[in-house]
Amino acid sequence: MTSTWKPLNSPAADDYIQRLTAGGVLLPDTPINLLEVVGILKSYGVVLGAYAENLCFIADDQFLELFPFFKYFNGKFSWPKLLRHWWHDRINFEYAEYCMRTMMWHGGGGLDAYLNTPAFAQLAEQAIQAKLKHNPLMQGLHRLFPDFLPEQIRQSAYYSTLGQFWHVMNEIFISLSDRYDGGEVTSIPQVVKHILSGLVAAASQPITYTVRIGGKDYEILPAAAGLTFLADAAVPYVEAVFFRGTPFLGVVSYNAQAQQISPDQANFAYGALYADPLPVGSAGIPPTLLMQDMRHFLPEYLHDFYRQGKRGEDDLRVRICQSFQKSMFCVTNAAVVGLAPYPLNTTEPQQQAANQKYLQAWVGRMLTSQLPTVQE
Amino acid sequence: MLQFLLETSWWIPCYGLVGAVLTLPWSIGLIQRTGPRPAAYLNLLMTCLALVHGAIVLRGVWHQDPQVILLHWFQAADLDFSLALTISPVSVGAMEAVTGLSLLAQFYALGYMEKDWALARFFALMGIFEAAISGLAVSDSLFLSYALLEILTLSTYLLVGFWYAQPLVVTAARDAFLTKRIGDLLLLMGVITLSTMAGSLNFPDLYAWADTAELSASTSLLLGLSLIAGPIGKCAQFPLHLWLDEAMEGPNPASILRNSVVVAAGAYILIKMQPILALSPGALTVLIVIGSVTAVGASLVAIAQIDIKRALSHSTSAYLGLVFMAVGLQWTDVALLLLLTHSIAKALMFMSIGSVILTTNNQNLTEMGGLWSRMPATTIAFAVGSLGLVGLLPLGGFWAMYQAIYSFWFGQPILVTIVLLVNGLTIINLLRVFRLTFLGQLQPKTRRSPEVAWPMAVPMVSLTVVALLMPLILHNFSLLPDWSYTNKIIVVLLLVSGLIGSAIGVTLPLNRGWSRTIYKPLRLAQDVLAYDFYVDRLYRLTVVAGINGLSRCSAWFDRYIVDGLVNLAGLSSILSGEVLKYSISGQSQSYILAIFLAAGVLGLLLTWSIW
Amino acid sequence: MLSLLIWMPVLGAVLLTVWPSKLSAVRLRQIAFIIMAVVLGWTAVVGYAFTSSDASLQLREELPWLEGLGLSYRLSVDGLSFPLLVLNSLLTWLALHATEAKIQRPRLYYALILLLNAAVSGAFVAENLLLFFLFYELELIPLYLLISIWGGPRRGYAATKFLIYTAVSGVLLLGAFLGITWLGGMASFDYQPLLTQTIPVVQQCWLLGALLIGFGIKIPLVPFHTWLPDAHVEAGTPVSMLLAGVLLKLGTYGLIRYGMVLLPQGWETLAPWLATWAVITTLYGALMAIAQTDMKRMVAFSSIAHMGYILLACAAATPLSLLGAIFQMVSHGLISALLFALVGVVYQKTGTRNIEVLRGLLNPERGLPIIGSMMVLGVMASAGIPGMVGFISEFLVFRGSFPIFPLQTLLSIIGTGLTAVYFLLLVNRVFFGRLSPQVTDLPPVTWGDRFPGLILTGLIVLFGLQPAWMLNWSQATTTVLAAPLIRQPLITQATPVISPSSPL
Repeated sequence: MTSTWKPLNSPAADDYIQRLTAGGVLLPDTPINLLEVVGILKSYGVVLGAYAENLCFIADDQFLELFPFFKYFNGKFSWPKLLRHWWHDRINFEYAEYCMRTMMWHGGGGLDAYLNTPAFAQLAEQAIQAKLKHNPLMQGLHRLFPDFLPEQIRQSAYYSTLGQFWHVMNEIFISLSDRYDGGEVTSIPQVVKHILSGLVAAASQPITYTVRIGGKDYEILPAAAGLTFLADAAVPYVEAVFFRGTPFLGVVSYNAQAQQISPDQANFAYGALYADPLPVGSAGIPPTLLMQDMRHFLPEYLHDFYRQGKRGEDDLRVRICQSFQKSMFCVTNAAVVGLAPYPLNTTEPQQQAANQKYLQAWVGRMLTSQLPTVQE
Repeated sequence: MLQFLLETSWWIPCYGLVGAVLTLPWSIGLIQRTGPRPAAYLNLLMTCLALVHGAIVLRGVWHQDPQVILLHWFQAADLDFSLALTISPVSVGAMEAVTGLSLLAQFYALGYMEKDWALARFFALMGIFEAAISGLAVSDSLFLSYALLEILTLSTYLLVGFWYAQPLVVTAARDAFLTKRIGDLLLLMGVITLSTMAGSLNFPDLYAWADTAELSASTSLLLGLSLIAGPIGKCAQFPLHLWLDEAMEGPNPASILRNSVVVAAGAYILIKMQPILALSPGALTVLIVIGSVTAVGASLVAIAQIDIKRALSHSTSAYLGLVFMAVGLQWTDVALLLLLTHSIAKALMFMSIGSVILTTNNQNLTEMGGLWSRMPATTIAFAVGSLGLVGLLPLGGFWAMYQAIYSFWFGQPILVTIVLLVNGLTIINLLRVFRLTFLGQLQPKTRRSPEVAWPMAVPMVSLTVVALLMPLILHNFSLLPDWSYTNKIIVVLLLVSGLIGSAIGVTLPLNRGWSRTIYKPLRLAQDVLAYDFYVDRLYRLTVVAGINGLSRCSAWFDRYIVDGLVNLAGLSSILSGEVLKYSISGQSQSYILAIFLAAGVLGLLLTWSIW
Repeated sequence: MLSLLIWMPVLGAVLLTVWPSKLSAVRLRQIAFIIMAVVLGWTAVVGYAFTSSDASLQLREELPWLEGLGLSYRLSVDGLSFPLLVLNSLLTWLALHATEAKIQRPRLYYALILLLNAAVSGAFVAENLLLFFLFYELELIPLYLLISIWGGPRRGYAATKFLIYTAVSGVLLLGAFLGITWLGGMASFDYQPLLTQTIPVVQQCWLLGALLIGFGIKIPLVPFHTWLPDAHVEAGTPVSMLLAGVLLKLGTYGLIRYGMVLLPQGWETLAPWLATWAVITTLYGALMAIAQTDMKRMVAFSSIAHMGYILLACAAATPLSLLGAIFQMVSHGLISALLFALVGVVYQKTGTRNIEVLRGLLNPERGLPIIGSMMVLGVMASAGIPGMVGFISEFLVFRGSFPIFPLQTLLSIIGTGLTAVYFLLLVNRVFFGRLSPQVTDLPPVTWGDRFPGLILTGLIVLFGLQPAWMLNWSQATTTVLAAPLIRQPLITQATPVISPSSPL
């Protein structure tokens, strides 16, 4: 992972680094934090499961469909379901697509690189030809605009990749909640450890993508591309969604002359770890969709905790977002520990120095995030 | 049935309003557990109803004389407030164009705003927008038109201020409201004057009055100036033009409407008022001057913009400047033609750049490039929109410009030059934008740019088709000159200006990375244009500072002179010292004392009256 | 019939004070609320009995009282006073609802509010100059106490200032009333006979001068206005609602009833000066409002500016402008009461009214989104945007006054522009943007908090769309009121063209 942040020498950064090397965690280990993190990860897990299923469905079954009217139905159409859909009584799958597009736009990792290779171009062309066999109009368009459909297929590849990634995360979070309910998990370090072991277990799981057109399978991301869970899905995802993100129209001006947005995407700091939770629920704040989805699956203990707040149900989504950020620091924490060049408790000075450098880069980026806020 | 629909044609603008009211449960947060999309669907449904109703009415009134509908509102003393509507092919056609564009923009918003949880409020505002503008199209009374313009001002404020937590939006909304409000108030002065002088505010009565009225030159000039002030604000003409640039902070689907029909609404009123303005040759001259200055100035400013929305919005001001010139010369049919072709083309271009912005998360032209092959619908839309705007290929814009030049041909060589200049400059600007956005190398922010999904693509492609069919539509409305009678010199001139513009546009060196030239004079010019001639700074130093200073002065004056000297503040302080002590003690005696004091004063006064 | 409007609240006040058992503040509020609901209902009954097509004083009641003094208990109502009566009952009812549940000394408080209501109603229905004066002075006592006991930190100063100003106003009024009666050669202060007085113009002007300053303090007109912002800032929300909504209208009401109608020749002579005075008040109030940082002070100065329109319309005194004046009184009553109620909620929840501190209150989760939305609507109504009452009243005032005082009218229109400026500053600073750090943890807003605002908002829109429902009460009266005044329009008015009716 590349970072343009220079290693910082600030007392706060040193404190975090010391904590991490001593086997500690970024988020203070308090009972309230534990309750919030586990509770929110439970509902997040449920939502992720739904997102993942839908992303994979769109990738597999809506391949190069120009009018995917029922793409959120997962192939199960019924009139009552349509009415509920129209009443907007449903999961906001738009948010999953938003994350997918953000991940694709920022790029990074082996997937991004593979999508620019001739190997991919060839596979994509085969799939296109199969799909457009009986559609001369689209064939003509494809000839005129040769990058139009391959770009759509790249997008489908990201649909599928993110879906596969979230499937794994869904399992990790749900099992965490089950273990918490069973009394096995009683502290934040245990939460981090659980996530870490889940990530490690899935680290080398391959990411592949195959579509079925006219009864024949077409590989888009073949196993031969060697894409794996941790390096090509998890890490780019964390970078794109947790750190960089996209500026929210509701709080940042896109006006070029105002120059509020950096020309270099690596300098973006609009991701989940940075976002200000207060405007959640306002206009132009996409994460509102996620918070709205999670409110339906809150475990009772967490919902009770929110109800005791000053505003009760009124500011539910802001509080969900605050809890969510805490939980995302746990996930980031697990990723940081997992990706460290050497075990963090190493005693070898050379390894310690390498770890120090590695941690400084991470912590340096997180200093401007909401990390200081969640320390309170 | 047809008769019923005709009689109730006044209801068409109300559909949008009904839609806006229906969104209330979502927009004020009564419905929390489910999402706001039903509000959007209801608004779309209402707009569809308005469109169908309008289409039937249009068929009914086709080739018929205009009909007037008078809706009695209320009577105050000797003043009758009746809302007059005119149902003619032109007015209903304009209303249909507005409703149609509104439908497309709302459909587009379903895609563009899909991640926005305040969707209901957005659609409510779009509903009000649509209602006000389609009301303006059929209004036959200056009073009604004025009221609707004010409502437009309000809904512009609310739509620009849609993302109210964003700092630049806050100032943009404020400036949009205040700038338009200045125009509206000057217009109100004119409306009240006219109402008094003419006795009625219905356009036919006003026209009849204007035919016979004999006003002194200064009165008619002042009247004319106040009447054109409203449209100047609405159409973003110099000197009330800054708001449109800032209003680009608003959501793009609203920008589609704003740059096509909202600005057109102001010009439409101007066209309606033209016979009254004709009372004063001075006012007409002012109109022409303002139009020309804006047309040329805004065309130049547009070329220096690096923001994709602003590069187009300044061109909107420029085209409306051409409309002003046409009205000033009393060529209202040319003005209408310009408005129509501009609306369609500009709406299409704004749809196109909306999908660019959504896909690339970026509005900065210097960070774009190479999109053409990845985004066919968007690219074609921009290309067709541009061609529909300018005089190069025989699409809508070409014929509008042809008619403009044709009508200025005799005796107005300067204005002909201005039209040709605007044509050339616009082509340079659009080619610049096209090259920066769609051609060239892929940039980091454009390297992953899949075409937008169908909710945005469908309205875009539909409008592309409409723009391509524009000459045919114009022909059906008998708005095109017969080919055998076309003035070939004008055609050639127009083509030459277009080709020169294209040549410059194609060869213009493009600076990616907002690099400024090292030649000092050129850099100065670039800055002056990019920052819109620094007019906003001028305003800040004059008007804003003036009002601020005045209010500060009066606050000081109030505190130290009025309160301290003229009045009885001193006495109050002395007396209150006593009372305060008692009040704080909290004992009931203090109240009794207070009551006693008051009653004593009262008693004194009463007994004094007896003596 | 009209007596009940006065005596029911008085009885209610007595009831509240002497109620034997111990009552909680909340229960007392409920009782007061019910009493006022009954009064409001009775106002509706009065409305039912009221004949709007009859221009004269109606529903008259007469009891001899101190005949030797010329004081008699005569009550009546006409199209000028009836809308104000309704406004009084309605706003008192809403003000009771806007009162904090746990207010100190609830018995005295609610009793005083009811007394205030009774005194104001009395002043509006009095048909005897001295009786009017009595009520006018009586209203001052509860108001003084309401400010000085339940007010803010500088309540003593504000209340005393209010008291002194109003006392001066009373002295001037009384003097003028005495003068009118004596010079008019009448033995009693009864209103009707005075309509036929023939006082010479010069003396009329002097009397009118006293009346103008007397009522000008109450309205208030610049430069007699400085008590008002202080009183508003120190007074609680309900008192501010009443003060701006109803009590100021006593001044404009008195000016029309006792100044314009009783002294028509003097009025004609002074009218141009009055119109200029109105312009000064409007522009001065608006400029002052721009400089304020306290939301309540800003609304208070806006009140002053908007009262200027009423004076302008009164000065012009055409049937249309008088109708506009009455409409403006009601619409200003509704709008300013709404704004004060909303500012009250903001203050109650955030603990501050400083527009430099507050930010982003429209935030849907942690802010006051519905209060904020109503605020946007309220300020737009105040700035005269169509669809709300402010537009109708301002249009009527401007259109009615323009033929007589074109220049002053045009200058007043600038005032509406300035209204937009300061209220937009307020809304943009306080409600737009990111929630300021000081107010991220506000207590929840209940529907009870929103209730007065919602009712007022509804009425503002309703009468904005259907002004006829209110105008019709006053049409006949204003035509008669304007009749004795001979107006010479500067702008020749065309005879209204009759539009061809639609053949559709």
